[in-house]
Amino acid sequence: MSEGFSLGVFYTIIRPEEKAILAAAEARGIAVQRIDDGETTFGLEKPAGLPNVVVNRSVSHTRSLYATRFFAHYGVPTVNSPEVTELAGDKILTSLRLAERGIPTPRTIVALSPEAALKAIEQVGYPAVLKPAIGSWGRLMAKVNNVEDAEQILEHKAALTSPLHSVIYVQEYVPKPGRDLRVFVVGDEVVAAMYRRSSDWRTNAARGATTEAADISPELRELSLKAAEAVGGGVLAVDLMEAPSGLVVHEVNPTPEFKALAAATGADVAGRIVDYAVRLGRQ
Amino acid sequence: MTQCPECEAAVENHDKIPGEVFPCTDCGTELEVLKTDPFAVQPAPKEAEDWGE
Repeated sequence: MSEGFSLGVFYTIIRPEEKAILAAAEARGIAVQRIDDGETTFGLEKPAGLPNVVVNRSVSHTRSLYATRFFAHYGVPTVNSPEVTELAGDKILTSLRLAERGIPTPRTIVALSPEAALKAIEQVGYPAVLKPAIGSWGRLMAKVNNVEDAEQILEHKAALTSPLHSVIYVQEYVPKPGRDLRVFVVGDEVVAAMYRRSSDWRTNAARGATTEAADISPELRELSLKAAEAVGGGVLAVDLMEAPSGLVVHEVNPTPEFKALAAATGADVAGRIVDYAVRLGRQ
Repeated sequence: MTQCPECEAAVENHDKIPGEVFPCTDCGTELEVLKTDPFAVQPAPKEAEDWGE
């Protein structure tokens, strides 16, 4: 049924998510090309034997940015597109887009130097949350409760030489009820949603949060689809919090993990990703 | 079967594929499958600054 058609999986490491995608493709009789992001080279001329579509599962934002651009240059669509990868992979660009589309999101101020960051934190107010603009899994995030905390964290940031650390993304601390929501969107459909609970203020599954299926209310569905569409659409995990004012979107993830979500909800997330990619590759 | 490069415990290939990461059942070190025939593993790559979802 899929003669001549192949699906590329661009990856850094094979986790249960990538294994599930490979298995879903195999179950559908679709040939797969595994493309290791650490071993591949990209020339300016289109190479022979490319797949018809590539599912980007690289965990590196930098590699994802360039690789999706090269695949686009070769005329091979990617899930997600280079534009979505760039936008959703950067919290600052995502916040801008969410605000432009009128999607409720926590109050956010960005400082372009550690020196300006204290002003940004004071503008947001205490407690505030500092996040790296790029990267995730709750890594290098800090909750700042007072000016002493802020000064210490910023001193550490100033000592780091990477320009990435000089950009300080400050967000209001949302007093969520010990949980947040993750909604998985594929195209124009919500595939599944789950709560992530943690005693830690960070509710990332990678930080050991426990998960359970969440009902998809019309409001949750509409807001999640709007957020996914705002960054360009595709395969996206929209993270939301239940703020006192209502639901707010705080992140849209372009290469989402879904092992915990699939286990909590029973949703065939990998299958939905493969079906979406195959449709894109056949267009 | 091969050995964990950290603790030398036996590591078995149960349907693993190249690139797959998994923890050593003895010491917990994250390992990455280099190849399956013969089965060989190495410590998994360390999380980089731009890694995430």
